[in-house]
Amino acid sequence: MSEHLEIKGLKKVFKTDDDEVVAIEDFSLDVKKGELISLLGPSGCGKTTILRLIAGLIEPTDGEILVAGKSVSGPGSDRGMVFQEFALFPWRSVRKNIEFGLELSGTPKAERRARASEYLEMVGLDRFADARVHELSGGMKQRVGIARALANDPEVLLMDEPFGALDAQTRNIMQKELLKIIEKTDKTILFVTHSVDEAVFLSDRIVVLTKRPATIKEIIEVPWPRPRDRASPEVTAMRKQILDELEKENVMIG
Amino acid sequence: MLKFDEVGGSLLKYDPENRLHRFVRSFVITVTSLIMLVLAWWVGALALDITYLPTPARVYEAFWRLIEVGDVVTGLTLQDHIMASLNRFAGGFFIAFAVAVPLGLIMGYSRTAEEFSNPIIEVLRPIAPMAWAPLFILALGVVAGPMMVVFIGVFFPLLSNTVFGVKKIDPHMIDAARTLGANGLQTFYKVMLPCTIPYIMNGVKIGLGIGWMCIVAAEMIMAKGGGVGYFILNNAQQIGNWPNVFVGLIIVSFLGIITTGIAERVHKMIISRMGME
Repeated sequence: MSEHLEIKGLKKVFKTDDDEVVAIEDFSLDVKKGELISLLGPSGCGKTTILRLIAGLIEPTDGEILVAGKSVSGPGSDRGMVFQEFALFPWRSVRKNIEFGLELSGTPKAERRARASEYLEMVGLDRFADARVHELSGGMKQRVGIARALANDPEVLLMDEPFGALDAQTRNIMQKELLKIIEKTDKTILFVTHSVDEAVFLSDRIVVLTKRPATIKEIIEVPWPRPRDRASPEVTAMRKQILDELEKENVMIG
Repeated sequence: MLKFDEVGGSLLKYDPENRLHRFVRSFVITVTSLIMLVLAWWVGALALDITYLPTPARVYEAFWRLIEVGDVVTGLTLQDHIMASLNRFAGGFFIAFAVAVPLGLIMGYSRTAEEFSNPIIEVLRPIAPMAWAPLFILALGVVAGPMMVVFIGVFFPLLSNTVFGVKKIDPHMIDAARTLGANGLQTFYKVMLPCTIPYIMNGVKIGLGIGWMCIVAAEMIMAKGGGVGYFILNNAQQIGNWPNVFVGLIIVSFLGIITTGIAERVHKMIISRMGME
């Protein structure tokens, strides 16, 4: 199978007047179509920066990103993004938020509506199509965020700590919802999180990052089929192994 | 079973959760407050007994005379004066809106535009709108001149609120739009503009208040042309008709309340319709 997302020798340096911060150093990763990869690392290590680079919101200092064989230069609708802060448009209804990307590409109105309805149903919000964003709970807001990104049918879905602003219980529900959505859409997903539990529960592979500058410390395959039992001994063991590694990483540098 | 006086008691008891109760309460307080003002004025007028402070009754008579026959100095009715003022006010306001909003959007968007415009704006901002009045009225006449004074008054608050609005836009929203495929122009009118509208309306609200003060003041230094300010000054200076002067003052207050009240309503409506409270 061909690589769907290729990241080659990615480097990002943030420059200020008298300081240079190397955020990402020599980051290379190949992702297959339909894979869910988690980026896991200590907070502030540059996980989000990697997503923003792939999204094209910022430019790499060095390296190349290929999505379905095409080199990334600037943002585009082939890479959808889901934000921790939801970043929904409050003046639009739920349906209109989901239609936003299709509106931009000039999709005819009838098709827009049909596509929005399809994704509304997928995320379980068909009854809230005409609701306003401020009327929704956090979990519902992020369902809209996911549906909005999916409505563009992107090659890659970039999720930046999407459930980080939700309470623990809603977070668990949303993780299961995401698995259902993946089954239906077979999307390639890059998922940034600092929750080991979340990474083990969701991912095909977990990329453990070092502290700043972010480089790949280890790539862990999660071999079990989904849905997984959070409490099973092997899942617990893997969680503990990763937690220990992250702790070492923190002690080593911090 | 409910006893009669229990029902009566619950009717008279103020319930802060009840919308009607809240409305009646604030209505009663507002009306009482205004009645107190009129009473204080009346008592003061009777006690002082000077021509400069006519009683409310005499002002009321003067009001109807002004509506029906007009005033002897200017030869115009009160309606004529009000329309003259409102025309200038509306003209100045719309010109200010048409200039300040696009300029504010550009300044908020482009740092170069802001850095270039700021020195000019900071030099002009401290000049009181009224300081321009003699120049504008002599150069542009008694209609366009006061209009330009209103323009100055409305322009600055509207501009700074618009710039502020653009800067307050959540950067994640811009990122979201761009990752959904928006180009620069689409990001501007589909995200930045709607985000800024509540701030623009806030600027409109402040601008209307200042603009209304500007129009009355500017009309006071005109030699002709009508308007509420012109009416007040002439009735005071030429014939010392103090009841007429008081009618003018009340009209200024009333129209000011109406214009800012409308703006307040529109502001609230936009904010709630856009789900941005």
